[in-house]
Amino acid sequence: MVIVRRKDLSLLEKLYLPEIARGLSITFRKLFEKKITRQYPEEPLPTNEVTRGQPRLVVKDDGHIACVSCGMCEIACPAYAITIDGGETDRAIEREPVRFDIDMLRCILCGFCEEACPKDAIYMSNELELADYSRAALVYDMEKLKRPKAALQKRIDYVYRLNNRWRKSSSTR
Amino acid sequence: MSPMHWDWLVWFLKANVIYGGLLGTAAGMTLAERKVSAWMQYRHGPNRVGPWGLLQPIADGVKFIFKESLTPDGANKWLFRCAPALAAIPSMLTIAVIPMGPAIPFIPGDYKYFSITDLDIGLMYLLSIGGLSIYGIILGSWASNSKFSLLGGLRASAQMISYELTLILSILAVVTLTGSLDLRDAVAAQSGAIWEWHVFSQPLAFILFSIAAFAETNRHPFDFAECEPELVSGFHTEYSSMRFAMFALGEYCAMVVIASLWTTLFLGGYNVPFWEDAPWFLCIGAFLAKTSIFLFLFLWVRWTLPRFRFDQLMALGWKVFLPLALANLFLTGAAVSYGVKLW
Repeated sequence: MVIVRRKDLSLLEKLYLPEIARGLSITFRKLFEKKITRQYPEEPLPTNEVTRGQPRLVVKDDGHIACVSCGMCEIACPAYAITIDGGETDRAIEREPVRFDIDMLRCILCGFCEEACPKDAIYMSNELELADYSRAALVYDMEKLKRPKAALQKRIDYVYRLNNRWRKSSSTR
Repeated sequence: MSPMHWDWLVWFLKANVIYGGLLGTAAGMTLAERKVSAWMQYRHGPNRVGPWGLLQPIADGVKFIFKESLTPDGANKWLFRCAPALAAIPSMLTIAVIPMGPAIPFIPGDYKYFSITDLDIGLMYLLSIGGLSIYGIILGSWASNSKFSLLGGLRASAQMISYELTLILSILAVVTLTGSLDLRDAVAAQSGAIWEWHVFSQPLAFILFSIAAFAETNRHPFDFAECEPELVSGFHTEYSSMRFAMFALGEYCAMVVIASLWTTLFLGGYNVPFWEDAPWFLCIGAFLAKTSIFLFLFLWVRWTLPRFRFDQLMALGWKVFLPLALANLFLTGAAVSYGVKLW
């Protein structure tokens, strides 16, 4: 059992007014301290390569996307957000998507597509903002998903670093 | 135009300027309240409407006007509609007697002071009209047919009646010194050096007046009329739209009036310290500066102190402040009648 004894107040404390003055001085000092609110649209959220934002298609240095429309990400996607129609190409890889849609309203940003992809074609970017006036506009097609490789390079390096913890040889870097 | 027409014109213009200033200050206070509270809590406060959020009161006003005005079932409709006006108008009327500066040279007519009226019993007018604002609160709370409203209204009336005694007794001590109910005499008595101000000759009256002023305007730490955690929102629980805004407007106008009365009675009114015949614009500036100190004090105290308990408030008012105010008045009266210079 703990007996809590209230502190005996001195005369000054009993008068109450000096204590009010002390409280007021504290709040007055707080007036000028640094604000901790983030002014969101002007001050964007800090992101880095660990940020798992929306998935984006990598555009290689030769101007083509790396995707061969194998459908691995489509299968891996737990939210059924990805729709791929495959087609043929004259390039050495022979296949490329004619349609690659990600329904951003379904996407849960889990990153399974990034893990599933055998061709380093899809990576999670640091883009997080998602707002539009219609549902249709939030189904992103290939043109909206394309990002140059340089923009995603940090994420690519990070994923390789992460995977190399248990997989020593990387195949398609 | 004949001199009488001049009088009417001057009176009309002055009334417009002063009421515009009062309502503008009240609107500004709503923004200042949110800004000060935000800064004290490391936030920014409203900053989206206009530069630094300065147009926020206008946005609030427009929103209030376009909101639906609900009347609850079982409410007394006539009183329910009257009450917001009854709460707001008395506090707006009382600004009329506050002298805000000396005569402005280029205004024609025989005006000696910059106030809407030159009333000899200004203080009495101010206190009696100001006391009416409790009718708006108690009628509104009763007419809305809600237990929270009624409890809030009862508390507010009990509180305002008990603290009005302290307020008036502390003012009477100052009146005893100046020997007049005229606010202009109170200002004239404090002209010259800074130690002529009544805050130095009547420190106890100043403290009592300050505390009673918080209770009179229903401000923290004495805001028992609203008291969100216990009574939802007190007397204006059932009010919405512009009717609610009228209550808020009345509260902020009362704050402005009490702050200017504070300045007039205790901080030398529009006197510039150590400069007896300062030009008129400096005097008005001094008045506004002193008043804004008190307006800031209202906000500052609100965001610092927690609310009292109601029984503590009553005990404090009747057992501490009333005897102190009476003793102060008695001592001041004795000193004045025996010709002892107190300061």
